[in-house]
Amino acid sequence: MDAPILQIKSLEVAVDGRTILKGVDLEVPQGEIHALMGPNGSGKSTLAYALAGHPRYEITGGSVIFDGQDLLDMAIDERAKAGFFLAMQYPVEVPGVSVLNFLRTSLIALHGEELSPREFMKLFQEKSKLLEFDASFTDRYLNEGFSGGEKKRHEILQMAMIEPRFAVLDETDSGLDVDALKVVSNGVNSLRGPNFGALIITHYTRILQHITPDVVHVMFEGKVVRTGGPELADELEAGGYAQYGSPEPAVAPSA
Amino acid sequence: MANAPAWAAELRQTATANLDRLPVLTGEEEDWRFTPPSDLGLAGVAPADGTAVAVDLAATAGPRAATLAFTDGTPSVPHGADLPAGVIVAELGQALIDHEDLVRSRLYSLIGFDDRPGALNAATWEAGTFIYIPRGVTLALPTETLLSATGARGRVSARTLIIVEAGAKATIIDRYRSGNLADPVAVSTATEIIVAEGGELEHLSLIEWGAGVRHHARITASAGKDARVRSVVVTLGGDVVRVEATHIAAGSGSDSRALGLFFADDHQHFEHRVVARHEAPQSYSNLLYKGALKDQSHTVFFGNLVVPPGAPGTDAYQTNRNLVLNEGARADTIPFLEIETAEVKCSHAGAVGRVDDEHLFYLRSRGIPEETAKRLIVIGFLQEVLAHVELEEVRRDLEHAVARKLA
Repeated sequence: MDAPILQIKSLEVAVDGRTILKGVDLEVPQGEIHALMGPNGSGKSTLAYALAGHPRYEITGGSVIFDGQDLLDMAIDERAKAGFFLAMQYPVEVPGVSVLNFLRTSLIALHGEELSPREFMKLFQEKSKLLEFDASFTDRYLNEGFSGGEKKRHEILQMAMIEPRFAVLDETDSGLDVDALKVVSNGVNSLRGPNFGALIITHYTRILQHITPDVVHVMFEGKVVRTGGPELADELEAGGYAQYGSPEPAVAPSA
Repeated sequence: MANAPAWAAELRQTATANLDRLPVLTGEEEDWRFTPPSDLGLAGVAPADGTAVAVDLAATAGPRAATLAFTDGTPSVPHGADLPAGVIVAELGQALIDHEDLVRSRLYSLIGFDDRPGALNAATWEAGTFIYIPRGVTLALPTETLLSATGARGRVSARTLIIVEAGAKATIIDRYRSGNLADPVAVSTATEIIVAEGGELEHLSLIEWGAGVRHHARITASAGKDARVRSVVVTLGGDVVRVEATHIAAGSGSDSRALGLFFADDHQHFEHRVVARHEAPQSYSNLLYKGALKDQSHTVFFGNLVVPPGAPGTDAYQTNRNLVLNEGARADTIPFLEIETAEVKCSHAGAVGRVDDEHLFYLRSRGIPEETAKRLIVIGFLQEVLAHVELEEVRRDLEHAVARKLA
């Protein structure tokens, strides 16, 4: 497990012709959980979408090696098959596609047909319980009528079912109350181990009180400007992003 | 119609005279500018008789109260189990003789023969269905009529008359099917539906023709006081199909829902003209048509809510949404209102869109390949209509038919 699962070098990304990421360098060894912190507009979410292959995010330079393969060369669904997962900040509503149908189609695509309907339901029930996901939602259409918190729970439920090798959590903590934050954090911690790595993108430190990061990176104006241990989060909690020229605090207003 | 009674023969003569007298449709007419009448066999002569291609009848699944099958318009004897007392499921030509008391006053009452397509059907229909549900009777199982074409006959004309008396209840399926024909066939159908006070009807038109068929379908349903009529029109097959579905709110408190689903591919051309006409106060109607298109296909939706003077309290909605899957396919949507009464609630909406990139990204980010993701999104888009098809085996068949189009 010496080679990093994720190795980002000099990554440059543009959105609608505007350069957002200006040479990002970041490495996550497999089995570690890293936090990526930064004020609004620093490019955190851009990095998340670019890694997942969203067509709006144009790669203008640099490279991303994922588990020894060129991630940027893969189609969106191939990235998922390689073990990459993105928990989205704003999961879209997809009318007419039921939660169960979606999850089953996803798992069959990722793991093949050997998953029987019975095994699938067992897995679903087990993970729903872990994430306190309301079972009555299963016949609902994907994210339709879900509250913000329910959408986030549903993202982590998918992650728990898929068991990716590596996950990026894009502001999963935003909009969650303390109880929901604990539940979601439990979901992440349940996967923690030598075969699971994660990058937790957050503006605030409070999720890091539930999921202790091995490493904290700070992003500012499209670059990773600092990398350190968990104590870096404490420093940000105390001083906010002032030293990077942003008046924004790193403590959630409601926390 | 060989042994038609004198009254019916006279009506047919009038229709034939009208057909000779009325000017041929040119396609210049406002109502006909999207679908050339000649493409439907409505202008001049019908396509010539050709070579027969067998019809696959396998998918007529599920228990039925009664079934009828017409091939190339040739009447067949109905098959029925034990129908409740008074329920009639009959061949329409025979019903002219056997049930004159019920048929004579209603046949041609909703779809007449003073315009050319109407006259053509009235002058040429050979086969048809007559269904009568007497007062207060509930028909638990659906009836199903299958009209098929083999190509042996260039023109196929059929007619249906459905009467649901006060407080009666039924589900009626009209299915249209053929193989892929070598020779073109022009089909004309006219379906008159009368639901009396407090009656309830679910009517399904499943248009599943193979290649070579052009179909002009008129369906007019009249809902009496407090009656509930739900019609589902599914158009998947045929080269050129034009469906004119009219819902008449004839009685106050009536509730009409018109659901439509279409999926055009290849060079298919479908036009749906859906009208809700509120002739009585305090009536409700809701039209929802959803369509998907791919390849070089073209679809047209024209919807109209008509509220003449004297229908206050009308509550009427119409929505048409289209999902265009590739460049080259084209959907037109024209929602229209003609409101001449104050104190009504009416809304209309029409939209044409493409598969949402964000939806596609979300599904693909979970490992679902692009084609599978598109299939889920399209079926999801049509689900709003499919979910309202209560007969499970029909709903499954339709889901499979849609999936086949996406394959």
